[in-house]
Amino acid sequence: MSRIGVFICHCGENISRTVDVERVAKEIGTRPGVSFSTDYKYMCSDPGQNLLKKAIQEQKLTHVVVAACSPRMHEKTFRKAVEAAGLNPFLCEMANIREHCSWVHENIEEATAKAIEIVAMMVERVKKNRVLPTITVPVTKRSLVIGGGIAGIQAALDIADCGHEVILVEREPSIGGHMAQLSETFPTLDCSQCIMTPKMVDVANHPKIKLYTYSEIELVEGYIGNFQVTIKKKARSVDEDKCTGCGVCMTKCPQKKIPNKFDMNIGMRTAIYVPFPQAVPNTPVIDRDNCTKFKTGKCGVCQKVCGPGAVDFEQEDQLIVEAVGAIVVATGFDLYSIAEKPKGSPIKGYGEFGHGKIPDVIDGMTFERLASASGPTGGKILRPSDGKEPKQIVFIQCIGSRAREKGISYCSKVCCMYTAKHTMLYHHKVHDGQAYVFFMDARTPGKSYDEFWRRSIEEEEAVYIRGMVSRLYQKGDKIVVMGSDIAVGVQVEIEADMVVLATAIQPQQGADSLAQKLGISYDKYHFYSEAHAKLRPVECATAGIYLAGACQGPKDIPETVSQASAAAAKVMTLFSKDKLEREPIVARVREAGCVGCLACKKVCAYGAIEEKEIRDRQGNLIKVVAYVNPGVCAGCGTCQATCPSKSVELDGYTDEQIVAMIEAL
Amino acid sequence: MVISQETMDIDFVRKVEALSDTSVRRCFQCGKCSAGCPMATFMEHPPNRVVRLLQLGQWRRIIEGRSIWYCASCETCSTRCPNKVHLASIMDALRKLSWDADGPSKESYVQLANKLFLQNIRTYGRQYEMRLAAVFNVKSGQFLKDLMLGPKLLAKGKLKMFHSKNKNMTEIEKIFSRIEEMRKKGEAL
Amino acid sequence: MTQPHIMEYSYYPGCSLHASAGEYDLSTRELFKVLGIGLTEIPDWFCCGATPAHNVDELLSLSLCAKNLELADQIAGDVAVACAACFSRLKTAQHVLGENDVKRKQVEKAIDAPVKLNSNVKHLLDILAHDLGLERLAAAAKKPLAGLKVACYYGCLLTRPTDVPNLDCVEAPTIMERVVEAVGAETVVWTHRLECCGANFTLSRPGVVIQLTNAILDSAKAAGADCIMVGCPLCHGNLDIRQKEIEGVYKTDYNLPVFYLTQLVGLAAGLGPDQLGLDAMIVNPLPLLKEKNLL
Repeated sequence: MSRIGVFICHCGENISRTVDVERVAKEIGTRPGVSFSTDYKYMCSDPGQNLLKKAIQEQKLTHVVVAACSPRMHEKTFRKAVEAAGLNPFLCEMANIREHCSWVHENIEEATAKAIEIVAMMVERVKKNRVLPTITVPVTKRSLVIGGGIAGIQAALDIADCGHEVILVEREPSIGGHMAQLSETFPTLDCSQCIMTPKMVDVANHPKIKLYTYSEIELVEGYIGNFQVTIKKKARSVDEDKCTGCGVCMTKCPQKKIPNKFDMNIGMRTAIYVPFPQAVPNTPVIDRDNCTKFKTGKCGVCQKVCGPGAVDFEQEDQLIVEAVGAIVVATGFDLYSIAEKPKGSPIKGYGEFGHGKIPDVIDGMTFERLASASGPTGGKILRPSDGKEPKQIVFIQCIGSRAREKGISYCSKVCCMYTAKHTMLYHHKVHDGQAYVFFMDARTPGKSYDEFWRRSIEEEEAVYIRGMVSRLYQKGDKIVVMGSDIAVGVQVEIEADMVVLATAIQPQQGADSLAQKLGISYDKYHFYSEAHAKLRPVECATAGIYLAGACQGPKDIPETVSQASAAAAKVMTLFSKDKLEREPIVARVREAGCVGCLACKKVCAYGAIEEKEIRDRQGNLIKVVAYVNPGVCAGCGTCQATCPSKSVELDGYTDEQIVAMIEAL
Repeated sequence: MVISQETMDIDFVRKVEALSDTSVRRCFQCGKCSAGCPMATFMEHPPNRVVRLLQLGQWRRIIEGRSIWYCASCETCSTRCPNKVHLASIMDALRKLSWDADGPSKESYVQLANKLFLQNIRTYGRQYEMRLAAVFNVKSGQFLKDLMLGPKLLAKGKLKMFHSKNKNMTEIEKIFSRIEEMRKKGEAL
Repeated sequence: MTQPHIMEYSYYPGCSLHASAGEYDLSTRELFKVLGIGLTEIPDWFCCGATPAHNVDELLSLSLCAKNLELADQIAGDVAVACAACFSRLKTAQHVLGENDVKRKQVEKAIDAPVKLNSNVKHLLDILAHDLGLERLAAAAKKPLAGLKVACYYGCLLTRPTDVPNLDCVEAPTIMERVVEAVGAETVVWTHRLECCGANFTLSRPGVVIQLTNAILDSAKAAGADCIMVGCPLCHGNLDIRQKEIEGVYKTDYNLPVFYLTQLVGLAAGLGPDQLGLDAMIVNPLPLLKEKNLL
């Protein structure tokens, strides 16, 4: 005989304003099976939970129904409380009379009647609940970090320093990401590579970090604590174990004019190359698309001059499977370009700025490469068109960002600061140069940020103009910029030598396909979605996968490093246990009834169903049935709905329980 | 000039939004419209300031001013606005409200030209350029304006003495009258 | 024996083409005759209201255009429009009335007829570049315009605002260049091809036109153009009729003939000066055409 305890929460006024909670408690108290029914102001609070625990013990309750908010809010809370009082947590259910009732209705009479029905449904359901024991799965205490920029590097170091192995996979030939391309960083004007290269070297030398560069993620299978990741190690054409990094091959390579992506295509590289001198690993890669040997069969000079004989033209891509327990996604960002976009694209280009065809109209990262001492111009600010020093530079903020007309509504967060930094770098290098900045707002919320921005105007003499630019065009060797100053209310026309556009921060190319491989969500811009915007910013809704850095949204370096360490901490939380407890809401096959049609296997989106052979004692095969792997099953219930012989049941959501709810109405 | 709650007529903003079918509130004063407006130097308030005054409910200054009458309807502002504020439609709506208020605007020539243009359509169904130019000169007191062009254009056949014929002229008068009726009855703005 | 037409269109000339832009109408009819494209003028069409109507009375503007679209509906084929302003008004009416039910009902009451939005309104450039196609256009060019450097002037209303005319890319259109290059001419890259000429202010505030149109002429000249090509009677008027006046004010010498697109394409198709109305142009094009051996 059930002894059900029902607890109706007021939720302050959220529920009690529209639902007569006392009447509900009274009505439900008269239902057969209910031995205790009460109402309370805040069930989730400490006293509320104590009330619950006390009632279970004093009233010897067998089941509990808490009528309150959505189970998504507090099911965990109440199940934990119930467990502490000695009852199996899965004998506790929540009836949602807030989101499903008090929040969406106004008429008290009708809302109360509905609330009574909702609670009655859950009371009848809970009578059919069974004790479900917790399921444990083992945890592989190795972590995968996807992306070798500052976020990936920081996360990898933090996890490795705790003694757990990290597999770091980077798409480019070297780690370092975009931070390695920067010249000096705000608000301190530290040289970016100077502060980053020690960390890069730490990664290379760390005994617990296994580094795969020039590699991509091919396939991800499994679940939290037990992932199998297939990594495609692209063929470098150089044997990493033999190469000493002497660099002779690069000096002899005849193909010297290939645009270097690291230098934003204004610097050139050879076909066998490292992207920049401080690359980690310092092992070159052959760009097979542009290499004479691979295109025509002739040359091969690099192999001839290589002392250790490390050049290997026969090298092939490799597929390597690694087992990990957690994945940190740190794939970073890409910059928006003003080039014309294909028809039908949700993002538009800037035709009014020439669609990127004017050579001296560049983006922020190109300016960084010009300013960088290790860049293509040796740190001199020079025009890409003719190599002359620009004396008048116009910087334009918010290109792409905050422009719903162009398809991007968000603010890219870092551009106000880096443009101020650019004006300073320019002023330091070209003393008689003048910088003009067309801007809308100055977003400088960090520590010392606003002071840094003001320094650009007050000390470095940049002229900031509050107004946007309507269009710009080439006139002779100058660029005419047509802007406005909204404070004075005039048009401002400047003939500039160079224009630097602060373009929007977008997720990396291929972010969506990687997300689909991982099974994580992303928003309409392809930024990865965190589990909860405020309270769970580094976790994904998919368990075991964590986010770090700009792949989740535009952010600066301090925030990226913070988030990377946070993601590492979450991974450590996972690894702190040897076994992972998971919710026992899993499907189970009644093998007696199963005919082995395996329709359930076809519809399972998680690959949780396998074939199982039933044999007699002599080893003869009796039949093949379906088997649900309780570790992989996500509890969606599709198999239960599909099974024609009703042989699969989802524990916690059986047909019996659902029918009881319907019949209670 | 001091703006206070009493002088801010936000109701007017709603009227303009209804007429123009776009949002005035979306404008965040970036100034891109003013930067590209070919007529901004002729206006007392460049386009972004017209919208700002509107956002602050200062409609009287706009309606009585000449800025909106100097808009060329080139649509550059609407095309380039990052927030999809259809500024050209807002200008149309403001001009209509200024036109209805009939009087206080400082810009008389442009209004006169519009008035004569529409009168001609009402009477002839199609534009009668000769009459338009001539009557405009007379009514604006600029008898000698473009005088030298007149004979040259006539000789080249560009100015036709008589208007182009349309057999359905009563139909056009009916359209004008029906619209007037609808406005009187409050069925249209 | 006359060949059957390869395509049929209803034709909305607009007020200017029956008056100050007579040569645009003439050259269009003659060119389309030579190309074998049928043009049937919509009977008893009305003024579309151009800029003055929508400037002060949107309902009137939409009603006039809706009425014209209703008249056009009675003739088979898409609606061919020569004037950029008429094109813009008709397309805007379709756009607005297609989305705004309140305005649609008001317009139906004003014109006392249902609003018909199913006609395809096409500018001549669209017809030449896409319906006819650049290949057939090139084939029709018996006397290609070799050596003629043309500055293609789009003005405001052929491509703006976004999503209304849908003729070509809003900020970097190439349709005019493609059409005139198909008939052998060279086009120049110049900075003011989408800038406003001052349009309507030619009547009420000509000083505005003088300033704005001067910038356009200056830009075309600086780019090395021999002439300018337009698709709008008002732009033509400002660039051509007021060119001498502008030269006087700014003390410059432009001498840039301003052609309608159908005049240039017609010239390439072998039509003569009388069929193209070349004598109606204020800035005389004949010296230039003789110099380039294009007559």
